[in-house]
Amino acid sequence: MNPSILELRSLTRRFGDFTALDGISLAIAPGEFLTLLGASGSGKTTTLRLLAGFDQPDSGSILMDGVDIAGLPSFKRSINTVFQQYALFPHMSVRENVGYGLRMRKVNKAEIRSRVDEALEMVQLGQLEARAPRQLSGGQQQRVALARALVNRPRVLLLDEPLGALDLKLRKEMQLELKHLQTLVGITFIYVTHDQEEALTMSDRVVVMRQGKIEQIGTPKEIYAQPTSRYVADFIGETNLLTGEVTSLDGRQVTVRCDGSSIVIPVGAMPVVIGDRVWFSVRPESMAMGTGPAAGEFNHLEGTLTDTVYAGAITRLHLALTGGKRLVVHQAAGGPLPEPGARVAVQWRPSDGVLLPDRVTADAGLSRR
Amino acid sequence: MRAHPRLRSFLSGLVPVGWVTVLLLFPYILLLVQSFWKLENGTITHQVTLDNYRRLFGTALYPDTILFSAGIALRVTFFSLLLAYPLAYLLAFKVKRHRNLMYMAVIIPLWVSYLVRAYAWKIILGQEGILNGLLMSSGLIHEPLTVLLYSKWALIIALTHIYTPFTLMPIFAVLESIPVSLKEASGDLYASRWQTFRRVILPLSIPGVVAGCTFAFVLSMGDFLAPQLLGGNDSALMVSNLVWSLFGVAYNWPLGAAVSVVMLCLTLVLLWLANSVEKRMNYTGADGKKAATDGRGMMARGAGV
Repeated sequence: MNPSILELRSLTRRFGDFTALDGISLAIAPGEFLTLLGASGSGKTTTLRLLAGFDQPDSGSILMDGVDIAGLPSFKRSINTVFQQYALFPHMSVRENVGYGLRMRKVNKAEIRSRVDEALEMVQLGQLEARAPRQLSGGQQQRVALARALVNRPRVLLLDEPLGALDLKLRKEMQLELKHLQTLVGITFIYVTHDQEEALTMSDRVVVMRQGKIEQIGTPKEIYAQPTSRYVADFIGETNLLTGEVTSLDGRQVTVRCDGSSIVIPVGAMPVVIGDRVWFSVRPESMAMGTGPAAGEFNHLEGTLTDTVYAGAITRLHLALTGGKRLVVHQAAGGPLPEPGARVAVQWRPSDGVLLPDRVTADAGLSRR
Repeated sequence: MRAHPRLRSFLSGLVPVGWVTVLLLFPYILLLVQSFWKLENGTITHQVTLDNYRRLFGTALYPDTILFSAGIALRVTFFSLLLAYPLAYLLAFKVKRHRNLMYMAVIIPLWVSYLVRAYAWKIILGQEGILNGLLMSSGLIHEPLTVLLYSKWALIIALTHIYTPFTLMPIFAVLESIPVSLKEASGDLYASRWQTFRRVILPLSIPGVVAGCTFAFVLSMGDFLAPQLLGGNDSALMVSNLVWSLFGVAYNWPLGAAVSVVMLCLTLVLLWLANSVEKRMNYTGADGKKAATDGRGMMARGAGV
């Protein structure tokens, strides 16, 4: 028995010369909250459209319960979609919108009524059932779109940046609500977003996409703490990407010469040899400001403080290393801060560094967020 | 020196207001005034009377003519819609590559002189015409048909040909403004292509249909040249031709003006009705009206009115 509800095999979609989707393969478990995360043009929306049946792949297959559905039109799939701009029917009331799918499937009237009631109840919109979509706020429209899809009890729900049009506060509320709802109904959610925070907050697994390929798949924690590429490390959250030459290694850790200091990093998935130039990542919140060379178990670097930026709970310290490289360190609020121009040392635990498998190439000047 | 902003906006507002007053409002007022004057022994006397209207509504000829014109216009509207809707649908949803080119192909006939288009039908439908020629050479008939030209059907065909683009433009504008995601959402919710058309596309396109039909109806009802050229004896029963003969042949300007005023009122009522339907059913925010206004401009150019 195939344990996955959906399986994508070598899906490829080209638009002219542009390869939007370059042979991706992915298995999705029943009841999973899976997020496709990527910048625009990464292929996440293309993947969703292929799953929904709005578009057909050039090659590859989409297996649902082991059966290839790649050629089926959208109205023959047990998959529903929540659209980016909601795509509510403007000439129908909230109730008519929500009942549309059931009417099209010729469900009997009494059942439509009770299921629509139930769906409206679920998204707390019962009292607005007679309204037209344009009389609703963005958040309410969002809920109608959700109810309109969920009322059909699909096997899989696709969500295309459904919170993109909402303001920040409402977005945060809806994130939690969506996650709660998904747990409640137990339907597989496939969620597309370019917002990495959203992805980390809600997902069981995150698929980071880039240029039509899958860059990394993992739980939010894995994606954040154990990025397997420089791209993922940089794309997810804020980080310091550093480079250096391997000077020694044993089974558990490597030592890298970086900006005049010896930095110890746990070994990664990629084999390295002495003399390799490697990338590694250290999160700003893993770093702390020190006063000088720290005790042996910590890594440390020294630099000049160029800027301090107050950001509420934390203060961002911007440092320039001797070699010109820039660092960001998060300092918890409170306590005195040195003036810009001061020499400061930063330190972190070796276990907080992540060795990245990408070879150091000519594009070492990767732009930093 | 810069003029005072309020003075400037006043002056720039004066131009369109002046334009409308001199070229539109003033002639209509003249027409209205004329319709209350009296015709005595072939001369118009400036004596206010309701005689013209009494005669208009009291003689069967005039209401009959208006009804006959409306009947012709209704049929033209029907056929225009029958042609324009599928064409607009294809242009808006199915044609991807050369959409603008195709749209232009539909619109370009509007730049061809109205007279040329009307005469073209004379050439096609005439006794020595192309259609008769074809039918004769194919052996279907042995004598040329004379019923083709100079009949109300010739009139309906020509008017349909002339006004179909006007029907198409607002429908196309509305269809094009329907977000693709609505079609996709409908399909996603298990609607077949036909159901999607019936439940989503058609209801949302009604404002365009109303605008397009209003155009076809109003313009063909008031048409003058096509009946004159193609309508034969039936042409005398079109209201514009009646007005023309009242002004030109009978020299009964007051009665002609009265008929015109009645027609103007009917048209205004119709436009108001259409407008309120369009407003009530406009969900897409499409500017069918803009397309319609463009159409009006083109109509003015095309017909040389």
